[in-house]
Amino acid sequence: MSFTIQHTPLDPVLLRESVLDPAAGGFCSFEGWVRNHHEGRAVDRLEYEAYPALAEKEGNRIMAEAMERFAIHHASCVHRTGEVEIGGLAVVVCVSAAHRDAAFDACRYIIDEVKSRVPIWKKEYFSDGTQGWVRCDHCAEHGHRHP
Amino acid sequence: MKVLILAGGRSRRMGRDKSLIKRPDGSRQIDYLVQLARTVTTEVLVSCNDPSLAPDGVPVLADLHPDHGPLSALEAFHVAYPGEPVILLGCDLFLIDGPTLRTLLDHQDPSKPATAFANRIDHRPEPLCALFQPTALTRVADAISSQTLCARHFLESLEPLVLELPHPAALDNANTPAELDEAFAKIIHGAAWKSVRVLYFAKLREARGLGEERIETLACTAAGLYEELRFQHRLPLALDHLRCARNGDFCEWSTLLENDDEMVFIPPVAGG
Repeated sequence: MSFTIQHTPLDPVLLRESVLDPAAGGFCSFEGWVRNHHEGRAVDRLEYEAYPALAEKEGNRIMAEAMERFAIHHASCVHRTGEVEIGGLAVVVCVSAAHRDAAFDACRYIIDEVKSRVPIWKKEYFSDGTQGWVRCDHCAEHGHRHP
Repeated sequence: MKVLILAGGRSRRMGRDKSLIKRPDGSRQIDYLVQLARTVTTEVLVSCNDPSLAPDGVPVLADLHPDHGPLSALEAFHVAYPGEPVILLGCDLFLIDGPTLRTLLDHQDPSKPATAFANRIDHRPEPLCALFQPTALTRVADAISSQTLCARHFLESLEPLVLELPHPAALDNANTPAELDEAFAKIIHGAAWKSVRVLYFAKLREARGLGEERIETLACTAAGLYEELRFQHRLPLALDHLRCARNGDFCEWSTLLENDDEMVFIPPVAGG
């Protein structure tokens, strides 16, 4: 069971091997790919940034929760940092279990929690030359503090 | 010299009337301010539109233009006491103390329209613990009628005498529950300098222009530190959009800082 942050391209085959188990009858994985559009705008590439110490701590808490909640044998997750081109792998989750339901459920749980809790940020570089931090730019506010 | 205490504001961000908040020693903020003002003058007034807010025996001054902020209190004062100067005191000043008021009185320059203190971070004059001469008060009605209601801008337009604070945190105000926690922490633990390391990521890293720095701060809580940094560097994210971490793990905004802590303010995350 592990969650890691990696600055080099991800290898899903290697991650799959980390959850092999003779007692497992099912395997489920999720791959997050960089797509070329977001909310109707063309995207050229993404850049991921993490707070590594806390990202791995919080990520491993999520993995431990998945082991606790679902009848699975092994779970692994690795998330990229740095620039990732269109079609590149941003995140991979692998889960093995005796039966498929637990493998599907745990895989879904892990990716959902990772996206909402782990301190990783994503900057979009749009084809029109603009850029922005996903989920941050809508809540920006400026101006001086009024008593 | 009369002291005019501002009470009865809407306190929208605090969610309750600041003048009625109980301080760590159990006293109401309005009573604390009245007693403090009485250490330097016998003439204390409360500006509010609900006379029941004022402590017994303290005269009330109602606004002529309710909901126009601190300037309408100055306007009402000038109508009631033409030709008199006044010290204006905001009820969000939970850390104000006797030496601060005494310094304002002792170092005022009657030839200047106003005397005020420099904010300890941006060094601009603070309007809500300031002394206004009648020459300033005659200009309030015009400011109100032209809808330029920002008290800080009004004070700056007067080119006031600006003093240094005897105790630097004395005018740290509290307009939100997190800022109140910070003010109470300073009252309870004292406003002592400490040195912390701050790491910045993503949007905050770009806004600050660097990834980490060492900070000397008077803040007691994580929230207090972020508000200082946000104010100082015009950081683009409000506290309620962030989480905070201390020494490598998530923490509460009310967590007390210690010397050499490593603090991180975490913008909305977006992995995957």
